[in-house]
Amino acid sequence: MIPAAVVGVGQTHHKTRRRDVSFGGLVREAVFRALDDAQMTMADIDAVVLGKAPDLFEGVMKPELYLSDALGAVGKPMFRVHTAGSVGGTTGIVAASHVQGGKHKTVLAVAFEKQSEGNAQFALGSGKGASLGAGGSFAPFIRSYIHRSGAPEHIGWKVAVKDRQNALKNPYAHLKIEDISIEKVKSSPMMWEPIRFLESCPSSDGACAVVITDEEGARGRTPAWILGASSRSEPPAFPGRDPVRPLACLTCATDVYQQAGITRPREQIDMAELYVPFSWHEPMWLEAHFLAEEGDGWKLTDAGDTEIGGSMPINCSGGVLSSNPIGASGLLRFAEAALQVRGAAGEHQVDGCRTALGMAYGANSQYFSMWVVADSLQPFG
Amino acid sequence: MVRFTESTITFPYTRSLGPVVGAFMTALTEKRILGIRNGEQVICPPMEWDPSTGAELPRDLVEVGPAGTVDSWTWVPEPTEQHPLDRPFAFAFVRLDGASTPLLHAVDASSPDAMSDGMRVAPRWKGQRIGHLTDIACFVPGEEPQVDGDDLGPAAEPVQMMDYLARITYRNPVPPSSDLVVDASRQHRLVGFRCPGCGKTYVGGRGVCPIDSVEFGEEHLVELPHTGTITNHVVITPVQYPGQTETEPFARVFVLLDGSDAVLGYQPVIELPVEDVAVGVRVSAVWASPGEESDEGGGMGGAFGSLIGWMPNGEPPVDDPDLVNRIF
Ligand SMILES: [Zn+2]
Repeated sequence: MIPAAVVGVGQTHHKTRRRDVSFGGLVREAVFRALDDAQMTMADIDAVVLGKAPDLFEGVMKPELYLSDALGAVGKPMFRVHTAGSVGGTTGIVAASHVQGGKHKTVLAVAFEKQSEGNAQFALGSGKGASLGAGGSFAPFIRSYIHRSGAPEHIGWKVAVKDRQNALKNPYAHLKIEDISIEKVKSSPMMWEPIRFLESCPSSDGACAVVITDEEGARGRTPAWILGASSRSEPPAFPGRDPVRPLACLTCATDVYQQAGITRPREQIDMAELYVPFSWHEPMWLEAHFLAEEGDGWKLTDAGDTEIGGSMPINCSGGVLSSNPIGASGLLRFAEAALQVRGAAGEHQVDGCRTALGMAYGANSQYFSMWVVADSLQPFG
Repeated sequence: MVRFTESTITFPYTRSLGPVVGAFMTALTEKRILGIRNGEQVICPPMEWDPSTGAELPRDLVEVGPAGTVDSWTWVPEPTEQHPLDRPFAFAFVRLDGASTPLLHAVDASSPDAMSDGMRVAPRWKGQRIGHLTDIACFVPGEEPQVDGDDLGPAAEPVQMMDYLARITYRNPVPPSSDLVVDASRQHRLVGFRCPGCGKTYVGGRGVCPIDSVEFGEEHLVELPHTGTITNHVVITPVQYPGQTETEPFARVFVLLDGSDAVLGYQPVIELPVEDVAVGVRVSAVWASPGEESDEGGGMGGAFGSLIGWMPNGEPPVDDPDLVNRIF
């Protein structure tokens, strides 16, 4: 396989509403930042991959065709990826695979959502009444996690505070809650018991783009080498399915670590961006990604290990809890992992970060996408 | 013979127009048509970027038309309600005077014989203009713009948003297993399918086992008990989106059927206030009164057929620490 690296990362300032820009204007903000970061222009791009949540979110059918000229993709291969909430991650993986397979030299991955133009709960309910929304789907899974791990209720509050404090260090993050505190989170309204309002992600307009190229393209640029990239899925419902430790998640993590040569994830991964739309997903995913022993994920959170400066920093960007342009959210995780190993994460940089995990999941906790990036092709010697 | 059901989804989306299309729409309310300069060319309708290279364009908007020349056209002999005119008309590429690219719009001509490449057309404006491409009701043969009825003047504010009412009608095939489940429920029978591959029991009318793709039919039917235990639950605060049917917080529960490994997902509860919904509550199936039945097959969870939900049956709650993990 041809080595591939992220050499450019761009994103928008994520907001509740970006009424000042069209769909094209929104994605182009992220694209030009990524191209500038890569010191490239649209002419250097050989193919474009676009990801976003299902078309029902904004009511634009085939947005990849509608946006092809905005993305400078006229006369170039253009691909669309559909894997629900994990789509941004899968978009990065598909773009990487075109380089790794030798089909294209330099590929642009773009993902976006303009949630303000539609209604997510309507879309998640397939346009019917009595939609559960994302919180309604995941609350039972979280209840099951809390029950079996015995985690105290303040764990969810701690994650909510930590990610919002990280967001204060990220100029692009949507939620900027200066006075965030445990007190404020625990007194916020109960939305889908046990999930409180401030333990939930916002609804955002935003986009993210990354430029992926081969070894020659990476020369003279700052690469985040893609050591492993994997996606897995499982059916949404079958007797005995465990949404707390989905098999698709466990096998995806196992695969991506094997590709990357990771045998001791807790020690070899310097930081991870995990898709945490509701605070309790942090401890749950720590365990399902082998970053903590089963039942111990919440102890890392409780001890402060998942803070910037802790032993296993999680979601230094502020995570999905601070910015959630759904289709872009997965690529934002992957992009933050790349920024970290490139030493380009600014105020939310983890000192000495050499290897990072980016992860996204979607639908009924059934689609998983992950990549491991590092500052060299052989970070473990 | 596969049976189909038809359903229609409608939603009022919005569109943020951005600086260039917004200016174009605002000008339409003033009965002016704008293009944008791209080197030697003038693109109309205007775009924010060069359509062939993606390069950003300077915001150099210029007025074009109002009259123009038909580049090519096609006749629409039987308009539907989605078409801009209710009588036969032509769709045409109209190259407005001063523009390098054609605008697609309707031409109100009496017959295809009245249409030709190179013919001259001018806009017929609506009297009430809101900042939408249909502010031009259509084009008409000739050089002179027209206005339909009273001219109510331009928009008071610059146009930045557009409403877009999306509507789509689907025809979905109904798996035979869905009909079997719904028919049984009409007789107040709860049936499921036992997969010969994995041995698991599925409730609701999904067509296939998701694990090994066995297609379910009558030979896989099993009778299931009408009592069970709530294993997990959620209370939803409804967002009032268009088409929402709920106004108050409502519960959905997971029910593990007695003597079975089958869990029914996302079930409604009846005569169980949301504050009393809890793990371990014993419940019994509730069947629809005549006229209340639905045709839903329950393939993705939820109530189906004549099963409308579950109510407490008065039995003492079950205290089993593993119940909460039985979501599926
Ligand atoms: Zn089976």
